[in-house]
Formats: sequence, structure tokens, C-alpha cells
Amino acid sequence: MKEKIKNFLDTDLLEKYLLETTSTEETLKVERYITMHPEVRNTYNELQENLEVYAKLHALETPEGLKDKVLYRIKQEGKAKGKFFKYAIAASIAAFIFAGSSLFFYNQNQRLEDEKTMVTNQIKDLEMDMKVQLEDLRNQYIVLNNPNTKKFQVMGNKKAKELKAVAYVNPVKQLSYINVHNLPQLPEDQCYQMWAEVNGKMVNLGIIKQFDNKEQLLALPYADHAVSYITIEQQGGNTTPTVQNIVANISY
Amino acid sequence: MSTLLEKHIVELLKERDEKAISLLYDNYADTLLGVAYKVVKDGDLAQDVVQESFVKIWKKADSYDASKAKLFTWLFRITRNTAIDKLRSINTKSDKEIQIDVSDVYNLGVLTTRPEFMDVKEHLEKIEPKYKVVLDALFFEGMTQQEASDELGIPLGTIKSRLKIGLRELRKIYGTTMVLGILLNLVS
Repeated sequence: MKEKIKNFLDTDLLEKYLLETTSTEETLKVERYITMHPEVRNTYNELQENLEVYAKLHALETPEGLKDKVLYRIKQEGKAKGKFFKYAIAASIAAFIFAGSSLFFYNQNQRLEDEKTMVTNQIKDLEMDMKVQLEDLRNQYIVLNNPNTKKFQVMGNKKAKELKAVAYVNPVKQLSYINVHNLPQLPEDQCYQMWAEVNGKMVNLGIIKQFDNKEQLLALPYADHAVSYITIEQQGGNTTPTVQNIVANISY
Repeated sequence: MSTLLEKHIVELLKERDEKAISLLYDNYADTLLGVAYKVVKDGDLAQDVVQESFVKIWKKADSYDASKAKLFTWLFRITRNTAIDKLRSINTKSDKEIQIDVSDVYNLGVLTTRPEFMDVKEHLEKIEPKYKVVLDALFFEGMTQQEASDELGIPLGTIKSRLKIGLRELRKIYGTTMVLGILLNLVS
């Protein structure tokens, strides 16, 4: 063991360690020796003391103002740190704003996406409506122009003498339309509702609303020997026609 | 330099108290300037090195481990390394730009030794140059004994014995300065 320590001390490792010129591996070795062997530890401490004394022998008087320069630089270091924090805060705020705006734009984008879907759907609906209406108009045209079309004058009964309507029925094309010209005024809580008896079943054709457009033709379901009725019902319509309130019927 | 003061300084350093730097400066700046000068051999450069070293000391305060090295050893290492780096950067610069002759001739007169060390200086004078050369090689130039042997053209055995004698001489001075220090402390 003595020999090992002597060999270690004979190398320059301790001196190199003192000046911090050892490699990481060497440093670990030296530190292990210092910790484990009092002899090495004492030599190291002696070396440290010698170094301090020897260095002090070479001390030079520091010029005036150098201390102030040093202290100023230390203060600047502190400020730099402060500056760093300021930048950090600024960066955090920037990041926050960025995150906020990202969220805003993301939400806006989502909203626009939704709107786009909605508009697309609306366009599709409109397209469908247009097709239906165009088809309807085409059929109206066929019915009105066809020489086989029969025209029926529909008059209201006692309950609605002013009711006037014209029904067009084309058995060949199996299409029928009604054009209601005039309906007597009804109390607020009542309305006119149209029905059609097709193959023995009563079909609800809906409520006849305000007659803004007197030229409008309403499609009627076609059947051989069908009968259409107009009844007065409670506001909002009824599921089955009130027979005693029939104001007009059209057989075709 | 009392270990009590050392402890106090280390505590202040760890607490990030700028007073630590002031105390360190008062107690070590002259010695560290001497160390820097030994390496860069230029008064202005040595002062720059001291400034930079104190900044490093402040920044690295957390890395100081009292169980591994005395405070002075740590300060010495930082200063010496800063000085070597400085010299390297100057040399690289001078390679690219103009040759700046950093030699003993420059600025020698600017820096003066401290009067309180005059006694010690006298002792230093007593150490024969042949020992001082070896001590310088060891402490300031960071040479291994083998390197010193090669550099100085002295056999390794001679280097070893001169180092031993040099250190013994040094211990004599150290003993005197210790006594002197204690006496001074008692008087003040």
C-alpha cells in the first residue's frame, strides 16, 4: 500500500490536479486517492498552501478603479439576468398572444367551415327545391297545354259562396292541379284545408294559406274518380276532414 | 487569511451577495493580478483577466466545493485558466491581424509590487533562481515534472530534487508569513 501511494505521489497527477489540468479520468483517480489516503490528502493540502504562498509572493498592486470596474461588471451580470427575465416575460406574453390568436383563428376557421357546410347544404336544398319547382312548372305547363286536359269550375257551397276555383285534370298524364281564385274571409281561428280521396283513402293536402298569388296552381294527387274537398278547419289544420264543414268538392 | 473569512466569503457567494466579490477583491485581487500577469506578461491584459475572472467567479460560485479545494486554489484555477484563454485568443487574433508582441518588456513599470509583501519578496529573493524556475514551471506554467525536465533541459531527477528543496524553502517563508500574519492580526 505504501508503495502504491509513493508511486502515485511520484507521478505529477496531484500537481496537475492542483492546476486543474487533469483529464476527467485522472481527476476521479486523484480525488479517490485524496479521500482514501491521508498521506495524499496532506500532500495535496500542503501543495495548496504552497501554491497560495508562492502566488502571494508574486502579488501585484491592483490599480485604482479596477475594483469599481469589477463591481460594475458584477452588477451588469445581475442586470443581464434581469434583462433575461424581462425578455423571458416578453417572450411569454408573445407566446400567449400567439396561442390566443391561434385559438381565435382556429375557432374562426371552424366557424367558417361550419358556415361553408351550411351554405353547401342550403345550395343543395335550393337545387332540390328548384328541381321540384321546375318539375312542377313543367307539369303545370303540360297539364295546361294538353288538349286532353279537362277544366272544372269549382264553386263554393252555401258556407262559402264566394269560393271560386278551377281544377285541371289530365287523365293521360295522370296529373291534376287546382287554382283557387277566391276564398271568403274566415275568422282568425279558422282556416281552409284541402283533402283528396284517393282509392278510398282521405289524403291531407294541407292548409290553403293567404292567396297572395292567385295564379298559383296547387298539385292534386291523381287517381281515377278522385274527389277533392275544401273544408273549414280550426287554425293549424286537422288530421281528418270535418265533413259538415265541407265548402267545396271537386270530382275528377 | 483566516479560514473564518474564507467561510464567510463562500457563504456570501452561495447567497449571491455581491459583498462576496468586494471581500474577495480586497483579499485576493493583488495575488490574482500577479497570477494573471505571470501568464499573460502584460499589465493591461492581466487587468482584463482579473475582471473576467471575477465575473466567472461570480457566475460559477455554485460550483465551488470546499471539500475539494481551498478557496484560493479555486480562485487560482479560474484566474489561470482565464489568463491562458486570453493569451490563446490574443495569439489567434495576432495570427490573423497584426503581430502584438506580448513580452516582459511591455508595461512592466505599470504594475508595482505591494509594499506589505516586500518582506516576503525579500524571502523570495532568497530562493535561488534554479528553484524558482521549477516552482514557476509547476505552479504557473502548469508543466508536469517531465515537461519541465524537457523544457528546461534538466534531468527529471534534478527537477524532482529542486522542486522538493524549492517547496521546503517556500514552507520556511510560509511559516514566517503565517507568524507575521498572526502578529499583524493581533496588533490590528
